[in-house]
Amino acid sequence: MEDLFGNLALGFATALSVQNLLLCFVGCLVGTLIGVLPGVGPIATIAMLLPLTFKVDPTGALIMLAGIYYGAQYGGSTTAILVNIPGEATSVVTVLDGHQMARQGRAGIALGIAAIGSFIAGTVATFVIAALGLPLTRLALLFGPAEYFSLMAMGLAFAVVLARGSVLKAIAMIVVGLLLSTVGTDLETGEERLTFGLDDLSDGVDFAVLAMGIFGFAEILRNLDSPESRDVVGTAIGRLLPSRDDLRRAIFPILRGTGLGAALGILPGNGAVLGPFAAYSLEKKIARDPSRFGRGAIEGIAGPEAANNAGAQTAFIPLLTLGIPPNAVMALMVGAMTIHGIIPGPQVMTKNPALFWGMVASMWIGNLMLLVINLPLIGLWVRLLKVPYRLMFPAILLFCCIGIYSINNNPSDVLFAAFFGLAGYALIKLGYEPAPLLLGYVLGRLMEEKLRQALVLSRGSFLTFVERPVSAGLLLVAVVVLVAAVMPAIRRRREEAFQE
Amino acid sequence: MTRTILGLLAAVALAATPATAQTYPSRPIVMIVPFAAGGPTDVIARIVGEHMSRTLGQQIVVENVAGAGGTTGITRGAQATPDGYTIMMGHMGTHGAAPALYPRLRYDPTKDFAPIGLAAGTPILIVARKNFPPKTLQEFVAYVKANAAKINQAHAGVGSVSHTTCTMLDHQLAIKPTQVAYRGTGPALNDLVGGQVDFMCDQIVNLVEQVKAGAIKAYAIATPVRSPALPDLPTTTEAGLPDYQVSAWNAVFAPKGTPGEIVAKLNDALSKALSDAATRKRLLDLGGVIPEGKERTPEYLGDFVKSEVARWTPILKAAGAVAN
Amino acid sequence: MTQGRGRTVRSPQDLAAGLFLVAVALVALWQGADLPAGSLSQMGPGMLPRALAVLTGICGLAIAIGSLRWDGPALERWSLRGPLFILGAIVIFGLAVRPLGLAVAGPLALAVGALAGGETRLVETLVFAVLLTLFCLGLFVVMLGLPIPIAPWLIGR
Repeated sequence: MEDLFGNLALGFATALSVQNLLLCFVGCLVGTLIGVLPGVGPIATIAMLLPLTFKVDPTGALIMLAGIYYGAQYGGSTTAILVNIPGEATSVVTVLDGHQMARQGRAGIALGIAAIGSFIAGTVATFVIAALGLPLTRLALLFGPAEYFSLMAMGLAFAVVLARGSVLKAIAMIVVGLLLSTVGTDLETGEERLTFGLDDLSDGVDFAVLAMGIFGFAEILRNLDSPESRDVVGTAIGRLLPSRDDLRRAIFPILRGTGLGAALGILPGNGAVLGPFAAYSLEKKIARDPSRFGRGAIEGIAGPEAANNAGAQTAFIPLLTLGIPPNAVMALMVGAMTIHGIIPGPQVMTKNPALFWGMVASMWIGNLMLLVINLPLIGLWVRLLKVPYRLMFPAILLFCCIGIYSINNNPSDVLFAAFFGLAGYALIKLGYEPAPLLLGYVLGRLMEEKLRQALVLSRGSFLTFVERPVSAGLLLVAVVVLVAAVMPAIRRRREEAFQE
Repeated sequence: MTRTILGLLAAVALAATPATAQTYPSRPIVMIVPFAAGGPTDVIARIVGEHMSRTLGQQIVVENVAGAGGTTGITRGAQATPDGYTIMMGHMGTHGAAPALYPRLRYDPTKDFAPIGLAAGTPILIVARKNFPPKTLQEFVAYVKANAAKINQAHAGVGSVSHTTCTMLDHQLAIKPTQVAYRGTGPALNDLVGGQVDFMCDQIVNLVEQVKAGAIKAYAIATPVRSPALPDLPTTTEAGLPDYQVSAWNAVFAPKGTPGEIVAKLNDALSKALSDAATRKRLLDLGGVIPEGKERTPEYLGDFVKSEVARWTPILKAAGAVAN
Repeated sequence: MTQGRGRTVRSPQDLAAGLFLVAVALVALWQGADLPAGSLSQMGPGMLPRALAVLTGICGLAIAIGSLRWDGPALERWSLRGPLFILGAIVIFGLAVRPLGLAVAGPLALAVGALAGGETRLVETLVFAVLLTLFCLGLFVVMLGLPIPIAPWLIGR
């Protein structure tokens, strides 16, 4: 414990230098900005800013890049709430209730809860990293392919809970999402699958392309169809900040979300994406009136947003303690360190304590800065909603196009997004919800990879999933969640049938 | 806002002047890196590019165009206008293994480029989980030969460096271990550290810290001389597997038809970067191997690419590792 | 909820939704027809896509059959104007951004996209298109430094 405080003191001494504070602030600000812009993700931005890091010391560089990363996570929620576009896999859930709240004139409250929830989550997660980073790493190493597969299966069970309407339709969307995720070059044999002979599909469909298509563009199309509903967003603007009552209702979801997100974020295989989904499912399950969810329930933002931010932070644990990046952004951080001749590994903590603890401390400072930057910005964002829709949607359109192009600097991505826009429009008209599809898609790739790895390692025996205790436990949770989600629907149908 | 617009207009006026070999470079140069930012090739491109920018007096802007084992970015680079403003960082995969892996490849590494010069390469290590029984490379060879059916070998996906180099090892040892494919080096390394898989081969920069910390064990480095990053690790030559010589080389290319003077200017800038003390230190910190003397010439690179294609094609074809 | 009662198809929306999925499944099966399925211990590239396509088809059939049994909403009206101009604008942007650059693709996409609204004002749209494109040039190219072509035909990048 004394060590912990000593280390944190060293960390704060490093992070509180004028230069590092400034870099942290710049990172958070830039991160928020690019997070708000649909499509322009942290990866493109950090890649563009890498040359800058030649000019500062590695600690400062990392503090800034980390600021961009969690700033972008937060900024992405703003776009999700205001215009119904999830820029990142982790903000898909925020769209569900966040945008509904915006439509009801409660955008300010939604944004405020997101900011406060993220801050609380960030604070807790920082201390988790500081205190438990090392032992948690060892725990995470217990996760082999079989455990991951079961974890993903559990995630899919959550996806069923996400749906507002028909459970069968939600399951169908998950399956379609999984199917979409198989598009592209097969990992093991290198064969191209379901690509229609298009080279640009050989790496599959990019998440942002899919999300921007079936959420962003399809939402524009839907709004153009029904002029009366879209103006609700523009007209009624209520409170700018959450009331005491809002906070009271949000605090426990925030704490639960923090716990879930922090736990899942530690897993090296990008478990952080599961956090918000898990938090949403949990809140919906324990709510007294689950039907409020998807219609602007404040818990539906508070939990997932906290989980999102907590996960974004604890995702640093595998990087800082093992030197293994759990996702593409973290891989970039590795790149930034290697440019400076620091190759992240298990010894960074002992060999470079100022860097390690400085970064940990800067995370908390960064979260505070995010709060300071974003609370005043809420007024500005909400005012943006007043822009007449006839100007708003072409602007969203252009921002999305530029954003999509910038992901891979590939114009065909823009064309694919148009295709998915049409598909998303069709899905809306056919009464399907896009969120389960996206979750199926996000988990699909990892799930297939892990399924095949597990079966290769077990030489084809499915028993591997139930023989390994952690895996068996996760599968059990999946089954319970699924049954709990499906049962009421079946009962309802049966009652309906009896009434005839 | 007005200042931004004025600045843009000024940039327009400046950049509109015609580009000739004498005035080259008169505007920023795009260097296509065919992999995601943050990976070894990207880091090397950025380190080298930073110093080249200073020599050339114009910024070299790295543009990451990842996809299909790097062939997406190189295809785009090969089709760019050969005016010296688009160059690319090619790689062992894109200019050596790709013709065997991708039958529908839309460029020919030996014909469609104007070679500039080799940049730094990163040697390959043979590593295993820390409780894997063999202690030396000799024991390792004997062990994997005796237990080939039980052994699990991890790699980062078909066409990745860890896949092609490990396939070469399997080919030389005449073994067929079970290959487990991961999406990228990170997850593969994670399962190696966690003991889920037995061994893998990959670039030193990806493994060096885990080896130093004892999270995994290394048997040998596949270069003729030891690496200063891991001075205690024997080379494959010392450890009894002299034929296994492989490193993930990176080299700068321009599209075919780029004027000779521009190639010369770029080659000169690259060579200056590779001689610069600070740049060298950065590259050596990664465990990089820097080309010297005649290895830095465009001609050497041209011949080298031919020999690499000739070396990889039979190995990968024999292993049946063919992507579409 | 009683609108469908007495008719054979009680939920036209669900029927269409189900058939849509069946079509998706068939396309996927056709595309993946020549991928080897492999065995469980060494799964081939075709196994999961095929299994998922079949599952998609089953879900589709179940939804379609359900539409004959349970009441549901009617099919909504599909408009043509929105999709045509919005998707057209996106496609134009995608095709124009590399050869012509953001300076041209931006206003073009904005102008075409604005037509989708049906309440377009010519002068306002044009002014807005130019201003927003300038703003985007400043934001994405100058501030963020993204490598987006600006006007390759004019300034070479």
